[in-house]
Amino acid sequence: MVAARDISRVFEMPAGPVHALRRVSLAVDAAEYVSVVGPSGCGKSTLLHLLGGIDVPTTGSVMVDGVDVGSLPDNARSAVRLKRIGLVFQRFFLLPMLTAWENVELPLAESGVGRAERRRRTKDLLEYVGLAERADHRPAQLSGGEMQRVAIARALANRPALLLADEPTGELDQATGAQIVALFDRLNADGTALVVVTHDAAVASRAGRTIQMRDGSIVGESHRS
Amino acid sequence: MIRRAIALAWLRVRREKGRTILGVAGITAIGALLFDMLLLGNGLLVSFRERLDRSGFDVRVIASESAVIAGPPIERVTAKTAILRRAPSIAAVQRVRLGSADVEGVQAAHHVTVAGVDPDALVPWSMIDGTFPSVGGPPAAIVINRNMSRVFHLMVGSRLVLEGRCGAALHPLPLQAQVSGIAAFQNDATDALTAASSYAAVAALCGESDSDRADMLLIRSNAAAGGADAAAAAARAALPDLHVLTNEQIVERFSRIEFSYFRQLSSVLTAVTLFFGLLLVAVLLTVSVNQQLGEMAALRALGLSRGRVMAGVLCESALLIGIGGTAAIPIGGMLSIWLDHILRSLPGIPADARFFVFTARALAIHAALLVAGAVLAALYPMRLVAVLPIAETLRREVVS
Repeated sequence: MVAARDISRVFEMPAGPVHALRRVSLAVDAAEYVSVVGPSGCGKSTLLHLLGGIDVPTTGSVMVDGVDVGSLPDNARSAVRLKRIGLVFQRFFLLPMLTAWENVELPLAESGVGRAERRRRTKDLLEYVGLAERADHRPAQLSGGEMQRVAIARALANRPALLLADEPTGELDQATGAQIVALFDRLNADGTALVVVTHDAAVASRAGRTIQMRDGSIVGESHRS
Repeated sequence: MIRRAIALAWLRVRREKGRTILGVAGITAIGALLFDMLLLGNGLLVSFRERLDRSGFDVRVIASESAVIAGPPIERVTAKTAILRRAPSIAAVQRVRLGSADVEGVQAAHHVTVAGVDPDALVPWSMIDGTFPSVGGPPAAIVINRNMSRVFHLMVGSRLVLEGRCGAALHPLPLQAQVSGIAAFQNDATDALTAASSYAAVAALCGESDSDRADMLLIRSNAAAGGADAAAAAARAALPDLHVLTNEQIVERFSRIEFSYFRQLSSVLTAVTLFFGLLLVAVLLTVSVNQQLGEMAALRALGLSRGRVMAGVLCESALLIGIGGTAAIPIGGMLSIWLDHILRSLPGIPADARFFVFTARALAIHAALLVAGAVLAALYPMRLVAVLPIAETLRREVVS
């Protein structure tokens, strides 16, 4: 599904280069559930950004469905993200002037899905995340958990094979976070591969495989028994 | 892509009401001024051209190139008029002698401009009441404008005595005159006192009965024989020592010399108003983009291309400027009517002159400037989203 091969990411800073990621290799199979844990600044989010094609490695390669996304031009990389990868962020980043329905519908419209199919798919997605009755509400009228569920529905709009989530419960209380975790479980059970970066041990424990990172490197890996 | 960008930009414009109202109101005010500047830039010229064409004459002959309306006189004008009348491309010729007079018994502040013409030829005014007889007198038949009728309480049949203030004689003889008609004269200011009589009467009024001179020759061309250009060519060939100008050439000359002040003024004000419009929209869009950098980065992360988010900003700019610029047209139109009224009431301004004239050209330039403005105003915010580093912005937004 997605494979990072020996990737490094170096940020050139005024004080000198920062090695955010050092020769990391990771493969995620279809329908796999992987969590990435580690202390702040260890390179978890950088790894997620590289897997999602929103950043390119300084060295190494990231293959999505056998294509090296780092070598693609910006437009083609955008198309890969739009069609094959879903992204969920800690801060949701819903468009504030759009309703929940419109936020979910947006990626569908952008990928050229027809109106009738868009409507059907948006309705299904909002029902899937349990927000059908909140479809006409704007983000400001939703709770944090509801916003994150809308963001997840938006990420799933184009039926991505891989969903990447960066601290998806970071802004939520425990009970609401548990709802999101349950939703991820369901998603994975339905066949979507997941990579979740988290500080939350409860979230990480739901994954079939947990990657431990430190100082830009993978230092351990465990599997749920 | 553009359709989707427009749809999303339209939602933003509709739902971010505060920003939209601020932007549209600003652009409407600025656009109204811009539109008025465009109407002013060309309006006086268009109005001048219309007034020339309304006179019924399309070629003018003068003695000096330096003054179109009142230069040195044309000597031996009777013979010259006769020569011109023989040209097939010329339908009519009128000689005009201009003088000035006081009305006897009225305070000297009321000077009257008097035009002397051939009563048998086509006259450069429109009769409102009465006639202008080709023969008669004494007393001399005189046509007056409405203002003169009102100020001196004159009507058709009234008698008056004019005392010349023109020509060579220091104390010309008073001219006994009788009002034969009331007319609308070209170039009359709202407060102008204007009269016209026969060529001979005005010569007498100026104490130059034995002179044969005129200030100007007016020619109406024969449309079937080549029009104004052919008539002007004939006049130039017949009278090589005089200056012959068609209406077209007079307008061109005024555009180049006399009206260049208005054009420069309107150009400067147009540039200034456009600049402020650009600034307003550019600031609004830049602030808006900066407030939503996280959302923009997220949109890019979700798969919207760089071109797509740039198109979104451009569409927002176009919508704000388009709505404001369209609303500016009727408001600018109303404002121009009011400003035109103020300017036309200034002393010495011809009553039928217009400063602000609506033309399709002005509308087209207004639209073109707005389109250019929308693009220019969007350039900087478009650049912001174009160079937005997605991963770094998402990281920064979370940390902040």
